[in-house]
Amino acid sequence: MKRLNPEKMWRKLLFLPALFLAAFGLSGCGMQKNRDITTLRWVTYSASGASMDAKEVIEAANQVSREKIGVEVELEFQPSDKMNLMMASGESYDIVFTSSWINNFDKNAEAGLYCDITDFVERETPALYESIGKYWDLAKIDGRILGVPILKDMGAEEQFRLNADYFEGEKGMEIPERMDGLKALEPFLKAYKEDYPNKYPMAMDKGGIPGFLNFLERIAGGVIVIPYRQDSEIPQAMAIWDCKELMDRYRLLHRWYQAGYIHPDAATIDSTDSDKSIPVRFGVAWKGYMGYSNPAQWGCQVKTSTYEGPFLSRQSGQGAMFGICAACTEERAIECLKYIELLSTDQKFRDILAYGIEGKHFNYLENGTVLQTQTGIDRYPASLYPTGSVVNASVASISPDVLSDPDQWEKVFEGYEKEGIYSQTKGFYYDITRKESIITALQAIYSDYATELRTGTSDPDVVIPKMRKRMEAAGFEELLADVQGQLNEWMEKADHEEYEGHKESKETETASETE
Amino acid sequence: MRNMRDIKNQKRPRQPQKQNKGMRYGKKGTAQKQDKALLAMSLPAIVWYLVFAYLPLFGIFFAFKRFSPKPGESLLKNLFVNSPWAGLDNFSFLFRSSEMPGILFNTLFYNLVFLLLDIVIPIMLAVVLAELHSRFFSGFVQMVLLLPYFLSYVTVGYCLYGFLATDEGQVNHVLRMLGRATVQWYQSPGYWRVILILVELWKTMGYAMVIYLCAITAIDRTLYEGARMDGASFWQRVRLITLPMLRPTIATIFILRTGSLLTSDFGLFYQVPMDSNSLQPVTQTLDVYVYKALMTQANFSYSAASSFLQNAVGFVLLILSNLVVKKIDRDSSLI
Repeated sequence: MKRLNPEKMWRKLLFLPALFLAAFGLSGCGMQKNRDITTLRWVTYSASGASMDAKEVIEAANQVSREKIGVEVELEFQPSDKMNLMMASGESYDIVFTSSWINNFDKNAEAGLYCDITDFVERETPALYESIGKYWDLAKIDGRILGVPILKDMGAEEQFRLNADYFEGEKGMEIPERMDGLKALEPFLKAYKEDYPNKYPMAMDKGGIPGFLNFLERIAGGVIVIPYRQDSEIPQAMAIWDCKELMDRYRLLHRWYQAGYIHPDAATIDSTDSDKSIPVRFGVAWKGYMGYSNPAQWGCQVKTSTYEGPFLSRQSGQGAMFGICAACTEERAIECLKYIELLSTDQKFRDILAYGIEGKHFNYLENGTVLQTQTGIDRYPASLYPTGSVVNASVASISPDVLSDPDQWEKVFEGYEKEGIYSQTKGFYYDITRKESIITALQAIYSDYATELRTGTSDPDVVIPKMRKRMEAAGFEELLADVQGQLNEWMEKADHEEYEGHKESKETETASETE
Repeated sequence: MRNMRDIKNQKRPRQPQKQNKGMRYGKKGTAQKQDKALLAMSLPAIVWYLVFAYLPLFGIFFAFKRFSPKPGESLLKNLFVNSPWAGLDNFSFLFRSSEMPGILFNTLFYNLVFLLLDIVIPIMLAVVLAELHSRFFSGFVQMVLLLPYFLSYVTVGYCLYGFLATDEGQVNHVLRMLGRATVQWYQSPGYWRVILILVELWKTMGYAMVIYLCAITAIDRTLYEGARMDGASFWQRVRLITLPMLRPTIATIFILRTGSLLTSDFGLFYQVPMDSNSLQPVTQTLDVYVYKALMTQANFSYSAASSFLQNAVGFVLLILSNLVVKKIDRDSSLI
């Protein structure tokens, strides 16, 4: 963790003008040499910084893109605090990673930090425009397109990752492909605890179960929630303590904690990855994802089972996006879009930034999937979404024997249509600017309880009333009323637009959120 | 603890000043050669303070602006032209929390305890060490006491976790061996005021002790020899010679520390208790609160506001404590 020291930040900020000058100077030189090549500064997210061979891979990609569209990129991998600093200080860039969870898209777009591409995106990059299709809605603010959604898993699907050697082999239990909710896990936990009374079957660290709150839309850092399924016509925003499903989930976790299924120190543990004996893990992924199933990595045969979802909302769909800097001229913005289009439509090109250099970092297998080499795993570990379309990249297999389905994405998107649980809020996003000081105060209060609630350490029926009292003193009701007010307005506007849309073009169906 | 560095910087120029007093101010208005040399020597420090302490002062404006930058424009333009004035709005998030009295209490409580203990205990140690005849043993003790100072609180936090973890912790091992009930340390706030004070002392007392030890070594030995010949006991020598001679050093440390009464070591209060929720009533200080409030949002105006408040209060306290010291003993005050 970093120590919060605004003075230090100022010091850093001081150097920015100097950096600007240096950057301008350098790019100026570059421009003179080859007049036709545009160099774009593209900043993307990586918690751990650039991987070892990133430079080499970026150069390999630049060779292709220079030839094809006359554009090259200076790709930087930055952690979230660096990106926040960059955005907040008005630093210059061309393309930036933005999303609902890192470098918040709605907030930045609302503040006018991103370029409005509505007028030329379809004209200049028709292939890109077509490939994104109905998902453009995710990037719209007041009807204007301010970003480019990255096609990946658009909904949140929560999975158990169970040790099949133990549960199926030793215990003779069946692991179905689909289970009904978190509570379906109980027999597995119980079986393991009986065999190993001194061990803890659940992988649980202070982050909690990944994605266990995805069954709710969360607003203002999670202190206000909107359930996906509601009886009322207009979705209701509510407090954590008024959401029965959520409270029951906290109660279930606390019961498991007391039963010894969860490590007593879970709330202070950073990671459980190194303990290969843990038989029950959790993940958020999509149908056909094989990343959890490599026996060499996890020490056993793993079977995944979806227990919830896929949940689809504006938030889940905004998992990864491109933002183009508002300071870009239209010409430059079009170059950015051209580059993004190439990433989204040319699979061979896309695979370079996704997996590295063919023959060195990865190889193509016969069925069209990709297998990373050991060099690739060590020196250019694949993380697809930060560098562009995931759907357009080849699918990775785990070993020559454990092959993935090269057409998995079609099935994933089919699944969204068939079994997806759609939010009823029609792409609602909350504008925090008016109530920011309340949200900030509530965040501090929430973080005093959240870790122990999500790890089951504390009893929600004891702790949440305390939290509620503090939150109400800090202005919770005022915030909730504001959220509901904005939501009502939004729904009214959305209904109206839908009605108008139907009137205008009867044959084309508008993006209707079907249940 | 970070003030200790400042103390060293402060002290060094003072001594030559005293020695040269007569000569330097002999002729009014003419700079002596030695002055220039001294000035040249302090130039790096002056530049450092100008660039890193005075120049960033314009950042105070962040605290009173609703910072809304436009990309591609300069920081100064973004700050002064593009951002509207916000009055005191940026401070309001600090006062929304009903826990604020508790948070302020924690901050002041720990800082006052540290202020007291970080003077008393290192002086005791330094006095005892100065009396030791075995230089080897004295050096060994100094080294052992000083080492923790160089560890980061993250490391210290994990070392402590090795002792206090529920299942694998050493303390609970011992409790189990003795047939006692084990304790979930990270969920038991009752113990943590003591634990945190012990950890802070363990980590910082060695460094403070070295400073006092230096000051004691600088005391004229003949004073002690004379006192001994007159039949003064150990306690009398400490009380009547060592402590009075240490007074300026103590006063300096006291004044500088009061300036940071509202500031706390984030590592000690956030990393060492592992950000455990249950411990929050006894570990939450102002810095921890600000961090938690702003962790998910990058709102520089808010963080500038809280930092401004801390430093403004610190500034007032510093001037006040200096006045108090001045009243008691004119020579020991800083300004």
